[in-house]
Amino acid sequence: MRTLRVAIAGLTACSGCQLSLLNCEDELPGLLELFEFQFFPMASSPALLTGEYDAALVEGCLSMPLEKELVQELRRRSRYLVALGTCAVCGGVAALRNGEERELLRQQVYGHSPVAGETYDPIPLRDVVPVDASVTGCPPEKEELLRVLAGLARGALPVGIDYPVCTECRMRENLCLLTERGALCLGPLTLGGCGARCPSMSVPCEGCRGPVPEANLSETLKIYGQKGYDRITVSGRLRRFCPEWEK
Amino acid sequence: MSSLSKIPILTRVEGHGSVELIRDGGKVVDARLDLHESPRLFEALVVGRRFDEIPDITCRICSICSTVHKVAALQAVELALGVHVSRQTGLLRELAVQGGQIESHALHIFCLALPDYLGVNGIQELAHREPEKLQMGLRIKKLGNLIQEIIGGRAIHPFNLLVGGLGKVPEAGPMQSLGKQLLALRDDVTTSITYIMGLNAILPPLPMLPACSVTGGPPLFGDSLTTSTGLAIPAGCAADWLNEQVELHTHAKVSRFSGTIPFMVGPLARLVLTMPEKYSHYFRSTTIRSSLTARIIELQQAVERAQALIGLLLDGGLKKETPVMALPREGEGTSLIEAPRGVLLHSYRFDQQGICCAADIITPTAINQGAIAASLKGLVAAMDGAEYEQIRNAAEILVRSYDPCISCAVH
Repeated sequence: MRTLRVAIAGLTACSGCQLSLLNCEDELPGLLELFEFQFFPMASSPALLTGEYDAALVEGCLSMPLEKELVQELRRRSRYLVALGTCAVCGGVAALRNGEERELLRQQVYGHSPVAGETYDPIPLRDVVPVDASVTGCPPEKEELLRVLAGLARGALPVGIDYPVCTECRMRENLCLLTERGALCLGPLTLGGCGARCPSMSVPCEGCRGPVPEANLSETLKIYGQKGYDRITVSGRLRRFCPEWEK
Repeated sequence: MSSLSKIPILTRVEGHGSVELIRDGGKVVDARLDLHESPRLFEALVVGRRFDEIPDITCRICSICSTVHKVAALQAVELALGVHVSRQTGLLRELAVQGGQIESHALHIFCLALPDYLGVNGIQELAHREPEKLQMGLRIKKLGNLIQEIIGGRAIHPFNLLVGGLGKVPEAGPMQSLGKQLLALRDDVTTSITYIMGLNAILPPLPMLPACSVTGGPPLFGDSLTTSTGLAIPAGCAADWLNEQVELHTHAKVSRFSGTIPFMVGPLARLVLTMPEKYSHYFRSTTIRSSLTARIIELQQAVERAQALIGLLLDGGLKKETPVMALPREGEGTSLIEAPRGVLLHSYRFDQQGICCAADIITPTAINQGAIAASLKGLVAAMDGAEYEQIRNAAEILVRSYDPCISCAVH
């Protein structure tokens, strides 16, 4: 089998999606044989884009001009472009105050100095280039990441998940944190694939994987209301990882 | 005539930075670090959020350091609200932080730095050249992650660590198995130490810098700063002493201390300040040239401490506990902790409803900017007359030897 050329890049983010790949300690030696990670500044030198790529995996949202240039360049050179992680897919935690005056937020940190004045409200990859596949999660699950790489090796990207965290939580026969304990659990609205990691340890889902397609927002808001959570509280939680929830 | 050359993208480090080399004629006369990563403005993001949301948000500052950010934030929030956690919770947090230390050091030593010593480009060539060494490093790294997973629920952004306690206390079974696996790791750690200590230094002699670390608690924990110049600074005064300033060439604030020589933080600084007798002979000098040696020693210390903590936890019986109730109140809390790369400070202020009204986060790589700048100047002086390419390579290796975490620095 031909070695696939892959580029792995990080934008505005915590490097957690790239680290998730480096955290595949058992699989990494095998992956390094199957794939040529030609551009992977976090783990390889130098950071030079050359030739074309079978795929580019991009972590993070965009919030400064240079990032747009890099993403467009990666798009031009790559057959597939994969959005890696919640920041790349829907903006992520850096975007949680999008919609407010960024200059005021910037001044809270830097005062009246012009430092970082050229940066803008974080936006997801799809606002800038066409995206072929998405792996969501903050961080993404290792298995999902490996499934995408395995798919690339076979020449077909895996089909995305379309059910909520709740489905997986029920399959694990967990006590429902929302209905039984009245916790603000975002499981009903959040895209599954994590195996209900947090609720399985009695920690309410914080929505780190972003919205599930066709989420029943109005019905779920009613349940949250019955449990004593007003619209502002719920909305604040939903926006923690995805600013576009209410659109 | 002076001109500017650039290492535009630093590689094999976390985050985005560059180094500018200033040339006069053909000669490099100065070098400058530029952390140009885009700020996510975390200190502004958390304002308006309730106290229990803060640790979940600020742990996202960095993936490699997410556990220690989470614990730092939890401790600051609990100080502000007057919450006292159980001894078991304290031990579990400490173990999780040691797990992060093991993972981070193994990542740096075996995946990011080792290629410099072997003259290869990174993990890909390393996998061909020294597959056993890479796999040995990955085995150690994996166990660091496993510790974080068992306690935090996940290796990156651990969700099971909450204000007041844990969502679910790990059971004895997985903890015993972890203890056995750490014991079995001993050979790998011993082999690693011999191997890493045997590598030839790749940087020229560099100036020594004063060191600063957290003290006053178990390893990596504490409530004040201590320095090799004899200062003792309580947590509440630490931000003033670190004296962060906004500077034009970097998106990370720069610690100016009292305006004199910069202090270094991190593994080497910690060892300089607490050097156990049995290791002192490994350090002919304590300049940043010895950073890899310091990291591998700390890795061994972390494995040993993790084993001891597991013993303490198992002796205590690992009881089921629910988190201590935290009630909103007006208050302010500042915590200090040692992240893998050095001193980390989280500070928050809350109003009567427990809503965050101010935040200040000071990270090791931000603090180290002054030390890196001083080391770069030292490097340029030490390599006077060398070819541009040689200086350029050495400058990147030098910056990497501080293991910068730029997402942390800029946050």
